[in-house]
Amino acid sequence: MTVMKKKVIKDEAAPSRGRFVNTGNGPTFQPIDIGHREYMAVIEPDTAFWSLVKHKKIADVISAGDLIRAFAGKSKQFTQEMDRLRFGLTPSAVYFNPTERCNMNCTYCYIPEKMRRKGRHMSEKKLLEALEILKRHFGKTLSKGSMPQIIFHGAEPLLNRDAVFAGIEEYGNDFLFGIQTNATLLDDEAVLFLTSHKVSIGLSLDAPTAQIADRTRKNWEGQGTFKHVLAAMKRLNGYEGWSVICTITFTNMRHLTRLVDFFHEREVPTCLMNILRCTLPPSRSLKPGDTAAAKHFLAALDRTYELYRQTGRRLTVGNFANIILAIIAPAARRLMCDISPCGGGRCFFALAPNGNMFPCSEFIGLDRFRAGNLFEDDISRVMDSEPFRLVTGRKVEDIEPCRRCAIRHFCGSPCPAEAYEMNGGMNSTGAFCEFYEEQVRYAFRVIADGKVDAYLWDDWDKGMKDTFTMGSS
Amino acid sequence: MKKKSKKDVIAYRKGCKAKGTGLSHYILMDKKAK
Repeated sequence: MTVMKKKVIKDEAAPSRGRFVNTGNGPTFQPIDIGHREYMAVIEPDTAFWSLVKHKKIADVISAGDLIRAFAGKSKQFTQEMDRLRFGLTPSAVYFNPTERCNMNCTYCYIPEKMRRKGRHMSEKKLLEALEILKRHFGKTLSKGSMPQIIFHGAEPLLNRDAVFAGIEEYGNDFLFGIQTNATLLDDEAVLFLTSHKVSIGLSLDAPTAQIADRTRKNWEGQGTFKHVLAAMKRLNGYEGWSVICTITFTNMRHLTRLVDFFHEREVPTCLMNILRCTLPPSRSLKPGDTAAAKHFLAALDRTYELYRQTGRRLTVGNFANIILAIIAPAARRLMCDISPCGGGRCFFALAPNGNMFPCSEFIGLDRFRAGNLFEDDISRVMDSEPFRLVTGRKVEDIEPCRRCAIRHFCGSPCPAEAYEMNGGMNSTGAFCEFYEEQVRYAFRVIADGKVDAYLWDDWDKGMKDTFTMGSS
Repeated sequence: MKKKSKKDVIAYRKGCKAKGTGLSHYILMDKKAK
């Protein structure tokens, strides 16, 4: 019988066997209060490793060695998983703005007013040319069988409807298409075209009544979008691929719970409840306080759970589902604003109607971040340009207090555009912090109470493997 | 009936190939809720 001697790790920074938590080469386990009556979380931040431990057992679990040994056996694998997620992905989506114009003048829009009022459309010829360039690029960079994604985004893409529909018609086999629209131009004909081409459709609505919703989402004459969104929701009922985005502001946050009822009653498959982005000054007039916004948002999540228990039908809040996934299955996350570096410039980029490229739509109004032109420059070189590297190089390890925050990989310190424009630089935080803290604490409570399935979708773990399991009574 | 006691430690993790592409303005709906 061959006796294997324990391998001495020679590349460690110090001659420590890592037997003890928080000293030498031992793991950094940070206990955090999650506001649960029984459990606290113990987190190893770099690997996004977590466990929930009963309050009275914290000292035993940390000192007994079981958790340390179990983690030690997996830490390399988890490090590699996080490295690939954070630094190893290839861009596969484009936020494609087919027009600068919008028929709306929403208070918090990140596209400058001048562009939205008098901007230009991309011609149909140029739009088709752009899709051909992108098809060739992704054909070289993505693995066989991977479908790149094109999201027609705003301003209002349906103002340039003929060109957009021509692109979907011509390249339907080459891309997964989606469109984000204010719904004012989403008539029967448009719905028929988009649904028959299996295009994902995102609407925007901030409140369950016109009185509140129309305060922030209105046209240049001050008339709101509420009735249009309501009509579009009726047209889309029964279609699988649609969602509604709500932007949480000072104006609507008190009505989020009622909005959940409103969405659930109308069988919205999925919604997003995104906290306001404060990139441009006009949006900051609507900024809610962290504490109040978190209180109302978490109450809305509670309501989705109650409705699920009562009816057996979920209303998934996509951005919160993403936080749960970030904790229990980090690589399964689908949105990339809550990871650092964010997805801007490394998972996706944004294309303006004149072909200019930006790391994300959030930067389209900021000329400093214009990195090249799709019709003139090689895409791979644009990806490596200084404006893109400014965004892809922003990481939580360089930001205070994120660099020492236990939940840094469940929050991601969004958003670089906010940090740069509002708070003075890429190594600053964005507009909110405590809101994200409360969201993660709530997610851990959901996990502690075994309620995860109520907040995700059916078969959410299909195709996943268990990479860690530990539980003792 | 005896109430089932909760575990002292809960820890689990699942893995898959990372494909994250979305940003907060939009989510592609290839998963449906019931």
